Amino acid sequence: SLTLSLLHMSVFSQSFSPCGRFLAAGNNYGEIALFSLSAALSPDATAQSQKPVLTFTAHEGPVFSLLSTDCHLLSAGNGEISAWSWTELIKKNVKPLWTKRPNYNLEIPEINSMVMNPRDNSLIVGGGDNNVHVLDLERGVFKLVLQGHSDYVHCVSVREREAEILSGGEDGAVRIWDSRTGQSVHCIEVYKYESCARPQYGKWISCLTTDSDWMLCGGGPSMSLWHLRSLSPTSVFPLTGCQRQAAFHQDMILAVGEGPFLSHCLLGGEVKAQIPCTPQSLNTLQLNTNSTEHRVLTAGGSSDHIDVFTNLSYRAFSLRF
Amino acid sequence: MGAVTDDEVIRKRLLIDGDGAGDDRRINVLLKSFTKWCNSPGTPEEGFTQYQRMMGTLAQCEFSMGKTLMVYDMNLREMENYEKIYSNIEQNITSAHEKIAECKKEIQRAKRIRKNRQEYDALAKVIQQHPDRHETLKQLEALDKELQQLSHIKENVDAKLELRKKQFHVLLSTIQELQQTLENDEKSDNDDNNQESPAENGE
Repeated sequence: SLTLSLLHMSVFSQSFSPCGRFLAAGNNYGEIALFSLSAALSPDATAQSQKPVLTFTAHEGPVFSLLSTDCHLLSAGNGEISAWSWTELIKKNVKPLWTKRPNYNLEIPEINSMVMNPRDNSLIVGGGDNNVHVLDLERGVFKLVLQGHSDYVHCVSVREREAEILSGGEDGAVRIWDSRTGQSVHCIEVYKYESCARPQYGKWISCLTTDSDWMLCGGGPSMSLWHLRSLSPTSVFPLTGCQRQAAFHQDMILAVGEGPFLSHCLLGGEVKAQIPCTPQSLNTLQLNTNSTEHRVLTAGGSSDHIDVFTNLSYRAFSLRF
Repeated sequence: MGAVTDDEVIRKRLLIDGDGAGDDRRINVLLKSFTKWCNSPGTPEEGFTQYQRMMGTLAQCEFSMGKTLMVYDMNLREMENYEKIYSNIEQNITSAHEKIAECKKEIQRAKRIRKNRQEYDALAKVIQQHPDRHETLKQLEALDKELQQLSHIKENVDAKLELRKKQFHVLLSTIQELQQTLENDEKSDNDDNNQESPAENGE
């Protein structure tokens, strides 16, 4: 039964600790596992170093999103957000600091994505009730609800310099909101642009990330790079399958989604390389920027293995739940 | 205590005696032959031969000692040499480290430049799709001129229309006045006629 559950496991979210020495990963069973990177990366690592140092059940539903602040780990599952202290987790104490739930109208939906807005220390949350909720972390109350999407919100991102929130959803729209007033400033319907549209896949947007001037979005439509000032698509990436997470890294774009590989793309639209990974399809991609000795990239998906890349060009080893 | 020093002595002697049984035995033999030569009652020739032999052995011992001293000097110089090489290599290592750090910074800079270039290229691609600014401005100018001409013509036509209207108005009002005057005249004529007849009837 354990092997069966491992076979059906999917990793949906990841987050590195503020010290950069630990990785937290959330799966579809509602569990969060803590891996020690220093143990797994040390020269005398064994097979045991690639297993978690701590596994606990955090939520009743899948943990779709994990986020780390300076000292807390925030996890979203079963429509609620829980906060854990990293120092306590490292000491294997699994009592959450608090659990909050946005004000939902009817049923309790899933929370699909969370992102921090460091400008005003708030947490942006997008989920299945078609709304984006903003939680003020200092006062602990939900201060804004951004309404406008007509279907689930899959992904959220923050444009710090302009104080804007971006959200992408099942309705195929990428909405740009003013984080101070909560008004929808722009609405881009990506599937209406011929260069990006892939009607055979649908119109939903599952991945969204921004670099303040530029935005990457993809899902049903091909992943595309947008210039936000002019709201125009500048490059479309010829990746088969729907992309689930993308990131800007130095002069490249990294993307994961359907298909057992991590794609390296250039801003001009070329796919430079596709690095094979263990899971058959990938859900989450995370770069450890909190530590200089453990600068790794980790990718997880429909498998109990989480691939670790010490050099972007090849998979070094895998952590296992 | 005695046992310790004995061990030390044995160890030292085993270590130093590189030649094996050679030097040590030679010195012992020399000492023994010296004491024997001092106490020997033999002939002066024998004594002389023994003396020669002892001098020979002494020379051998001195030679061997000289060799060892030279080897020792050589070792000292080798040590110095190695020290120099060691510090040289250390310096090279630190400078190589610095060069690596510098190169890493260079790479980051180059990557940023490359990223900027790619962003420019991407934007340029989009801009190229839009028509040239000069052309659009020229088109706008031409349209402006056309617009001006047309409004000029419209003004002229309007002015003409006004003039005609006024002229027709004058014409019509004059006609009306004339009509009025004619009617008035007719009426006054009729009145005159009517006034005359009763006056005629009355008389």
